[in-house]
Amino acid sequence: MSTDSLGTEPARTARENPVVGANGDQAGPFGGATAARWVGRRMPRREDARLITGRGRYVDDLNPPGTVHVAFVRSTVARGRIVGLDVDAAREMPGVVAVLTAAEVNSPSHQFWQTMTGPQSVGTPGRVLADTDVRYVGEPIALVVAESRYLAEDAAELVDVDIDVEDPVVGFAAALAEGAPRVHPELADNIAEEVPTADIPGFEERFDTAPHVFTETFDQHRYLCVPMETRGVVARWDPWTRRLELTLSGQGVHEPRLFYSRMLGIPEDAIHVTMGDVGGSFGQKMFPMREEHAVVIASRLIGGRPLKWIEDRAENLIGGGHAREERIEIMVATDDRGVLLAGRADHLEDVGAYPYPGNGSAAGSAAGMFPGPYRWAGPGSVKYTGRAVYTNTCGRCAYRGPWMMETTGREQMMDVVARKLGIDPLEMRRRNVISREELPFTSPSTLVYETISPAETLEQAAELIGYGRFRREQEEARAQGRLLGVGLSLYVEPQFGFGNLSTEAATIRVEPSGKVNVSMGTGSHGQSVETTMAQVVADELGVPIDDVRIVQGDSAATPYGPGTGGSRTGAVAGGAAHAAAALMRERVLGIAAHMLEASPSDVEMVDAVVGVRGVPGGPTVTLAEIAGLAYFDTDALPPGSEPGLEVSRRYKAPLFMFSNACHAVTIEIDRETGKVDILRYVVSEDCGNMINPMVVEGQIAGGVVQGIGGVFYEHMIYDSDGNPTTTTFMDYLVPTAAEVPDLEYGHVVTPSTTPGGHKGLGEGGAIASPAALVNAVRDALAPLGATVNGQSLSPDRILEIIEAAESATADETPS
Amino acid sequence: MKPAPFGYHAPADVAEATALLSELGDDAKVLAGGQSLVPMMALRLARPEQVVDVNRVAGLGGVRRENGTLVVGATTRHVALERDPVVAAAVPLLARAAPYIGHFQIRNRGTLGGSLAHADAAAELPAVARALDAEFELAGPDGTRRVAAAAFFRTLFTTALEPDELLVAVRFPIWRPRSGFAVAEVARRHGDFALAGAVCGVQVDAGRISRVAIGLIGMGSVPLRAEAVERSLTGSEAAALDLDDVGAQAVAGTDPPSDVHAGTHYRAKVGAALVARALSTALKEADHG
Repeated sequence: MSTDSLGTEPARTARENPVVGANGDQAGPFGGATAARWVGRRMPRREDARLITGRGRYVDDLNPPGTVHVAFVRSTVARGRIVGLDVDAAREMPGVVAVLTAAEVNSPSHQFWQTMTGPQSVGTPGRVLADTDVRYVGEPIALVVAESRYLAEDAAELVDVDIDVEDPVVGFAAALAEGAPRVHPELADNIAEEVPTADIPGFEERFDTAPHVFTETFDQHRYLCVPMETRGVVARWDPWTRRLELTLSGQGVHEPRLFYSRMLGIPEDAIHVTMGDVGGSFGQKMFPMREEHAVVIASRLIGGRPLKWIEDRAENLIGGGHAREERIEIMVATDDRGVLLAGRADHLEDVGAYPYPGNGSAAGSAAGMFPGPYRWAGPGSVKYTGRAVYTNTCGRCAYRGPWMMETTGREQMMDVVARKLGIDPLEMRRRNVISREELPFTSPSTLVYETISPAETLEQAAELIGYGRFRREQEEARAQGRLLGVGLSLYVEPQFGFGNLSTEAATIRVEPSGKVNVSMGTGSHGQSVETTMAQVVADELGVPIDDVRIVQGDSAATPYGPGTGGSRTGAVAGGAAHAAAALMRERVLGIAAHMLEASPSDVEMVDAVVGVRGVPGGPTVTLAEIAGLAYFDTDALPPGSEPGLEVSRRYKAPLFMFSNACHAVTIEIDRETGKVDILRYVVSEDCGNMINPMVVEGQIAGGVVQGIGGVFYEHMIYDSDGNPTTTTFMDYLVPTAAEVPDLEYGHVVTPSTTPGGHKGLGEGGAIASPAALVNAVRDALAPLGATVNGQSLSPDRILEIIEAAESATADETPS
Repeated sequence: MKPAPFGYHAPADVAEATALLSELGDDAKVLAGGQSLVPMMALRLARPEQVVDVNRVAGLGGVRRENGTLVVGATTRHVALERDPVVAAAVPLLARAAPYIGHFQIRNRGTLGGSLAHADAAAELPAVARALDAEFELAGPDGTRRVAAAAFFRTLFTTALEPDELLVAVRFPIWRPRSGFAVAEVARRHGDFALAGAVCGVQVDAGRISRVAIGLIGMGSVPLRAEAVERSLTGSEAAALDLDDVGAQAVAGTDPPSDVHAGTHYRAKVGAALVARALSTALKEADHG
């Protein structure tokens, strides 16, 4: 990894990672076109000084006077009827402010829909607290408000809940069984979502006539977002201004405001939402959940005093939202050379009891992305079906690339098929991958790729990892009985620009001093928005980056944004920053040209100084002087010019945007202990013009570490009674720095058509890494004839796989 | 994740501590480094009504050589075992086991006495104490008594300590120079409790094993010692050993636990391999004089 010193000066990377393609222009003061000076630089993050010295300000750092604290009483039973609920002893305990149950908190008028899914969406039945029954372990039943969290937890223990236990629905088979109990009795069955079979004429014939047809099923286990900072909220209803003051740990302020406006039936301008620093989210905090709802409602019932709830780690693991428990059956037809002729995927998702948002299914997105970076045989050659089922477990929440099972399945299938055909997995991909020369390319799911480069990233990754050399080393190692493996994973990452996700906005104020204030609707939870958007604005406007400040996380001070998520910051928020800065530049140059008695088309601004292009040493005027005129000497403005320097632009993104990458990893497995040692991990990516390569690499690194965690360490396990058994960090294992190798990066730059040529890439690291890692294990164990189609791959599981392969081989050996 | 209410006591010396323990009886729990007790209290899995914090008890920390043993005070932190040259010279196995305990933050706080009194069979220090036949010094209201490691570890998380007794020191025999020592373990992540592991000490004279100790980590409800194997190895030719066979014999008859991280079969199989690895490493170090 590259190391950079703190500060605002551009720093050099310790290792110059390869960059293929252009990334910006060069030019001197008043010497030509506007120069890119900050975009493309490995600029240290402006956020880091405060974050790494412990000076960040998170929701738990907020302690307004009079704060009272919330603890939840939660179900210890996966499914059952509540036959008794006695809160009297808790209410009488000294220090307790209130104990609230469904009777006080739930209301039939509550609306639970998110803007993203819409009022008509088929969602999960909504409720805040469990009322007559419980549907998963951890479901909140009551909330206790007390003078301290200690007292709240003491009082929560005094709440007497009596539940008649019923058989829970745990796992796919139980959910789909004939006559299965219903997770939600108000629904007809346990199907949350169904992506039906499309009728494609001639589809079956493609398989009937193909030289080879392969079918395989891949399983992925339940794991979760695990942000360092858990969820949290401070809510106060001010009875005098009749306004809700809400601070939360989230991904944005505007959607919670809209959501609670609908939920409480009050106008959104009666809600003020703020957000400070956020210690990660990964999708979990995109949509407020039941606990936040309960605290907000309770704050309104109690009135006046701020209510604070900080989710503890056990709550986060048990009830904060889960993900990834999926299965995919894939059938592909190929010719003798491994060229893909047709494909079919059947996707099964476990969305738990109360998923967020809507019904929790990501199959629709997965269906679109399944063809990925390969040609297949054009339209009509790939079919995708899916079902999502409710179970009596914690609900699914968004997790970095929620649809990623398409890549997890497809990329493993590529390796399985390659091996069966006797083709190297790299060669198999080469024969199918889309190259830049074929663009624009319409995928079998009718998505149009215009600016991707999967073939180029495949080659760059193979070169960086030394694929051919590794194969030779592997052969020598195998001769010594050692188990080395290499895994590839190639994918296309979408950024969706529809519905409320289609826009972001930026409001730029050049202050009278000439400083630049940029208000955005983003909600950074680790995306480096304060750094990257400042880089964009500084370049586009022509000011030093230290003059630019990014303001976000305040619903009263920023324009609407759907929340930072969906890998939309670079292209969409970046698009807004570009557009607003360009408009501001036009305004500034118009005034400056008047002041310099030049034509607006002849002036340019560099380092907040405007001069006449091609006239070094000529007259200049500073941005501060221009701003002074615009605000305080408005009669001197050019005729028809608006006073002040304030502009706002909302950028509308394309419906779909795409980036792409290839992961390559080498591993060694200890045959005696089943431990996996990751030798090298390489990512070659194309996110178009990089705003900040260090941020790009940081986003990739975070995602890859989550994949390493998912495949080898993290596993949320439920027993057959629906009890979660990995409820602390003793048992739910997240990888630490000791488990992660130095990651290596290569960059291919194919600018997109969005302003600045940027593309999103925030989710890709987590989308592609699991398949690469499982493929490496599969490759390492291939000489034993082992089958590796499931996760998680703990050392215990790997030894089981090795032993199963060895005993199968022993059975086949003639005696 | 906040502990239930509890009373707190911070005695200044051993007599005050044992008097308190005697007075408070079963309701009290001793707090040393707090690396196991505090998380369990936060989860309300442990709910002591009284906590007796021994961090300020005079004379409980520190190491010294005495009559062929290394006396390690109960509140000696893991980091001292890891870094103190006196420990490394006298009982190398302690110094080599210490880096496997948790992470450095845990080693800065956690204590030898706390780990041994907690008696987690998957922890490193109980296995070292058992393998080296350490002696435990327990102070009670009526004075102190000494208990051998074999008798100290009773059953799962249970020791010979009476409710009114405090572990004050542990005596580790000092082996002669030219001995070999090794730790081998497998954990899910660096710093996690071992899924399985072994600690070994060996002396070799004229090519034959003259002294050997094999402790097993995480292979049962208490820290185990492969005594039968030790007996059979003593006197045998070091170069002629079938280490895989020794490993298999060392774990034979054990009944390792099963949990979400690994099953019984895994622990037994890998435990055997780790005994072989630890013994192999220790033999390489032992000067075959």
